[in-house]
Amino acid sequence: MTTVALLGNPNTGKTTLFNELTDKYAYVGNWTGVTVEKKVGQIRHSHTKVIDLPGVYSLNPITKDESVVTNYLLGHSPDLILNVTNASQLKRNLLLSVEVLELGVPVIITLNMIDDLKRTGHYYNLKTLSTELGCPVRTTNARNKEGLTELKADLVRDQSEIKPNLPLKLNYPLMVNQAIRQAATSLTKDYKVEPKFAHWLAIQYINNNKVVRKYATMHQLKPLLSQKAYYDAQKFDDQIFETRLSFIEKTLASATEQLKSTQHVAITSKIDKVVTHPIFGLPIFVGIFYLMFKLSFDWIGTPLSGYLDGFLSGPISSWANQFLTQAGALPMLRSLIVNGLIAGVGGVLVFIPQIFVLFACITILEDSGYMSRAALVTDRIMEMIGLNGKAFIPLIIGFGCNVTGIMAARTIEQPKERLITTLISPFMSCSARLPIYSLFVAALFPRHQALIVLSLYFLGIVVALFMAKFYHVIFKAKEHSVFIVELPQYHIPRLDIVWHGTWDKGKGFIKKAGTIIFAGTVLIWLLSNFGVHGYVTQIDQSFAANLGQILLPVFKPIGISTWQPISALLTGVLAKEVISSSMMVLFHTSNQTALIAMIGGSFTAISAYALLVFILLYIPCFATIGTIKSETGSAKWAAYSVISSLAISYTLAFLIFQIGSLLM
Amino acid sequence: MGLFVNILILAVIFGFAGYQIYRAVKRSKQGKCAACDYDCEAKKMLNQSKKRAM
Amino acid sequence: MNHFMIKQFNGLDDATAQRLHSLGLQVGSSVQAVRFYPFHGPVIIQVDHQKIGIRYRVFKLLTGGKPL
Repeated sequence: MTTVALLGNPNTGKTTLFNELTDKYAYVGNWTGVTVEKKVGQIRHSHTKVIDLPGVYSLNPITKDESVVTNYLLGHSPDLILNVTNASQLKRNLLLSVEVLELGVPVIITLNMIDDLKRTGHYYNLKTLSTELGCPVRTTNARNKEGLTELKADLVRDQSEIKPNLPLKLNYPLMVNQAIRQAATSLTKDYKVEPKFAHWLAIQYINNNKVVRKYATMHQLKPLLSQKAYYDAQKFDDQIFETRLSFIEKTLASATEQLKSTQHVAITSKIDKVVTHPIFGLPIFVGIFYLMFKLSFDWIGTPLSGYLDGFLSGPISSWANQFLTQAGALPMLRSLIVNGLIAGVGGVLVFIPQIFVLFACITILEDSGYMSRAALVTDRIMEMIGLNGKAFIPLIIGFGCNVTGIMAARTIEQPKERLITTLISPFMSCSARLPIYSLFVAALFPRHQALIVLSLYFLGIVVALFMAKFYHVIFKAKEHSVFIVELPQYHIPRLDIVWHGTWDKGKGFIKKAGTIIFAGTVLIWLLSNFGVHGYVTQIDQSFAANLGQILLPVFKPIGISTWQPISALLTGVLAKEVISSSMMVLFHTSNQTALIAMIGGSFTAISAYALLVFILLYIPCFATIGTIKSETGSAKWAAYSVISSLAISYTLAFLIFQIGSLLM
Repeated sequence: MGLFVNILILAVIFGFAGYQIYRAVKRSKQGKCAACDYDCEAKKMLNQSKKRAM
Repeated sequence: MNHFMIKQFNGLDDATAQRLHSLGLQVGSSVQAVRFYPFHGPVIIQVDHQKIGIRYRVFKLLTGGKPL
């Protein structure tokens, strides 16, 4: 089994390449930090395992996801490293390559996105590059599948056939070289560190690599630790950087070839003139989102979901009912399957069109390269609350699922900003909350569906930003946040990538339907069919009713006058989709239309909106609570998140209902 | 359909549901990494460091 | 026009300086300012065919201004 590690800068098309090479596809995005954890795949018909590491600018990590790469290299030795570079930005890409080449593990460098380079009017002599760098150099264009067959042939070799690389040796200044040599020699002699690795370790340590320094402290590597002050005082890290950069500049200068015909298509600049406009950039950002919701709710999603519901609640439901009656099923089993599972789980599944359209839109935004522009145009606003535009991306990803949003927050450099982003992420309205919005807007705001839903999304953002400012003041976070965002070339979204991205995000939803939504529905069915006296035929005497009745006084001030929504809210903590399926079960309806009519009867416009606001902001689902705990590393933050969101949601819903009732 | 089959189906449904709730609670305690089915290198490293800490 | 030269990295925090280095910027690099956002918002600069968004404060420092 050969292990190939994929390594490269962000925005080099690394993940696209990974997907093209391997059977299993990972999640692709044209935004830094999409690969928040490592992905592993297998090259088709071979014994080669490919590991996709997060994109990094250098082996000295600033963010949490970047340290995954350095830790990987410290602990493992892959048979081959495939260094993916962005051909048109080779200079800075090679800074990372040099660090990797110094390791002495076999490396293949591929100049990816080679088309972008040709368009700029020059090309590199691959032979020259290969000689200077001491490793094979290939060219690819993963998006058009160019050069992949050749590259694959290089990768599927047997371990024994891979030619070993000599570590790249740069001419560092005399003093630096001496320091490296001394440390490496004594590491090899006294600590039995393999010579090539010792050499690399010494360079990285001297270059102030935080992870390597931690590693040295942990393993008590005295030859390095004892010289730390000396290395830092001499500013060896600056000298190392300068040596590397001038080596790269020299190499590139000798390898550059001019192409005769140049057709410089400045499509990216043209688009950027509009979407990153200093004044219109922000309205365009809002407009794009409005379009997204229009597509999901008015134009494509809702009509499709209507057909699906008609099919499920009509033919399927009555057929199942007949079949079960004929087969002699007990009324209890029939009720569980027809009124519980088909109505409840099915009631959530009919929202697949809306959710998939929304996911497709988010994937297109990610794949095209717009996300980093969004970070840019929102930065000034985010600066006011003490975050930066980059924090907006995890929040937008959170529209899909709060868990992935929180994971994406790993790309934020400052720990306090990351914590704040994690804490405000649950206020982003995730796709699981969509079904319940859809039901309510269809019942009470039939004419302004997209607008009302959009207002909820924006309310979520506003609450999130407000809380961020609050935390920023409380935590006394440092003024300066790191905001450096690369604006990649735009790509025309490719259909299969969009489909893969949509499916990757959406399959979780379908999977949940079979697991936790199913479980929640069974739970609520049990609660609504059993009471203190056992099986009940009147739902008013069930546990669900009792529980709801007890809590009713608490919820009265926010406009809830029946017990059903309260019981539904309780089960919603399992997963937010369960709120909708619970409503189906509790109102004893088998189709959406009937439920919408029921909701229309027991809510007013204001109380419905107050409830939606409550649903938007109240306790995060189990998965999110768990992720907050694991990402912040403390159960306290998770508990805090539960309590604070409950308090905020109640207060806001209360205010909306009370003030709204006064005005009406 | 016999009473036994009825009860069996009910039991399967309830059992599966209970197991899913149990699993959700257990997984939420461990966070996202546990929810992913792939035993990747990062996860192995994480588990090892956990073992060492204990 | 909007061409600037990077004069210094002094006054920047380590993380910012390191990230800018990784993007291939050093003292003496020539930079084109593509766009300024209002209210001292971010600045888009272009270096070696790549566009990068940075904060106005960082831009000022790089081009030789005083720390704000």
